[in-house]
Amino acid sequence: MTAFVVAGLSAREVSRRRAALLLMITLPLWFYLARRDLTGQSTRMLTLGMAWAVSTVTLFVVNAARGVDPRLRLTGASVPGIFGGRLLAMSGFGLLLTAIYLTLVTLDQDFLRPWAVGVMMLVTALVAAPFGSLIGALLPRELEGALALFSVCAVQMLADPAGTVAKFLPFWSSREIGSYAVDGGGADVLWRGLAHAALVWLLCTGLTLAVFARRLRVARYPEPES
Amino acid sequence: MTPRPWLHGFLDLCLLAMLRERPDYGYGLAQRLAAAGVADVPGGTLYPALLRLEQQGLASPSWAPSEAGPRRKYYEITPAGRAALDAQAAEWRGFRDGVDSLIGEHVR
Amino acid sequence: MNDWPLRFEAELVRLGVQPQRARQLSVETAAQAGEHAADPDGFFGPAHLYARHLVAELRAPLPDTRCPTGRVMLRLTGVGKRFRRRTVLTGVDLTVRGGEVAAIVGANGCGKSTLLRICAGLTTPTSGTVHRTRRVGFVPQDGGTAGWLTADEHFTLFGVAAGMTPRKARSTGTHLASLLAWRPGRTQPVQELSGGTRQKLNLILGELHGPDLLLLDEPYQGFDQGAYLDFWRQVRSWRDAGRAVVVVTHLLHELQHVDHVLDLGAAA
Repeated sequence: MTAFVVAGLSAREVSRRRAALLLMITLPLWFYLARRDLTGQSTRMLTLGMAWAVSTVTLFVVNAARGVDPRLRLTGASVPGIFGGRLLAMSGFGLLLTAIYLTLVTLDQDFLRPWAVGVMMLVTALVAAPFGSLIGALLPRELEGALALFSVCAVQMLADPAGTVAKFLPFWSSREIGSYAVDGGGADVLWRGLAHAALVWLLCTGLTLAVFARRLRVARYPEPES
Repeated sequence: MTPRPWLHGFLDLCLLAMLRERPDYGYGLAQRLAAAGVADVPGGTLYPALLRLEQQGLASPSWAPSEAGPRRKYYEITPAGRAALDAQAAEWRGFRDGVDSLIGEHVR
Repeated sequence: MNDWPLRFEAELVRLGVQPQRARQLSVETAAQAGEHAADPDGFFGPAHLYARHLVAELRAPLPDTRCPTGRVMLRLTGVGKRFRRRTVLTGVDLTVRGGEVAAIVGANGCGKSTLLRICAGLTTPTSGTVHRTRRVGFVPQDGGTAGWLTADEHFTLFGVAAGMTPRKARSTGTHLASLLAWRPGRTQPVQELSGGTRQKLNLILGELHGPDLLLLDEPYQGFDQGAYLDFWRQVRSWRDAGRAVVVVTHLLHELQHVDHVLDLGAAA
């Protein structure tokens, strides 16, 4: 119950930050338009733009709740309830972005496997939510967090995808699934991408939960005897 | 005239005592308090106190027309009001005797 | 001056009086001024101030409603806290029972807020033991609210966290707000509220779930005079209802209202 209420309220919270939300929703579009002539590159850029948008919005939501969280814990909410709710809302935001941009690119480009483009976007958006929350849990201020996310996404764009560094970056999976969708890679490429995404998701979710469980721990004191 | 902080604790007592004598309305009670030399109670103190007595069931209101001007809200003491008055009067006498004995020691 | 009764009535409604009752009080008040052949503005003063005064007077608790003090809600024994090399608290003892108010006083930086967080369980003491009742409400000095949510949404969020239904949480929150003479706007996000009003919300969120022990960290900052009086009246009514209250304060003239004073002294 708590998770659903937190999810609903997080969604409303984000929807009220009109300007930030509009910038975040349109950001992937600029990434896409820059190299619209190259199907593969523009779609990958678009997807990384989505990753940045979703993770940054998640970061905002996590940071905005810093004051409220300890009190919610004291009142009786559980850490998975609080965190799960936010993750749910932000995954919903990722799903919305995927729907918008998948429609756009499938109308605008010809893909070898259009459904796989959808998988790439969705997987990236789903990974971005816990990644953004992890950064939010570690860096207390919005500006610092947004810059950290920007660095990660920039390195992800610029790193040699075949190199070792790229594999340790959170959105390597989008590159792999993209190869399958656009360049006609084999099924093993797809599975490798999905496995990497699952691993990153679990890692980010687990670490965020661990950070919050530590920060929001409430001492259990024994009842006093009169 | 009595400074306000003194009266504050005993205004209810004075009002109940006057209402036991006879039902009365706000202006009349203000006149009686002033005539008795207790205090010149401002309306902003008197009327909320009357409403409070009404809320606590210590006085019951009734409306009556007046010869001149608007109708008036008369207050009548209730049995609960009498009980409260007795209790508060005893308290007041204890307090008064205590203060008297202190003044007596030091002033004389 | 003829709109005095109207303004008076409107202010009463704003302060949480039922509209019908407000109309009735407004008519009576005008008649009372009439008895003295005065106009209400001259007799009672500005409409909004008299409305506040009247509401406060009528809300005053009946005399002697205090229950005898109840079971122990909080017991600190030899509590100490050290942050790295810096010792903030040493050997703090405090016992607060239901129906009692304890004040924590002391200079800035002497560890008042740290002690309150220890009582809540948000900070672990380095030494000593804490016994505390399970149902606790905590009101931090500032923050503690989410800027983009409305007051109603806060009620829902905190109520659900405590296991209430959203509807119950909202109606409870609205009722508690009326005790502080506040009627929350439906659509206004919290960051648009004034500092004092935000503190009212902060306070309500601490008591929404009806805790047995309230921990308040200077919760009246930014309150105007009326709200400040409402706050202390509220503290007394919690006490009279058998709850325990621990309040961090630096206002020594309020200490007449409290049962225990814990002086943490100068800054550590």
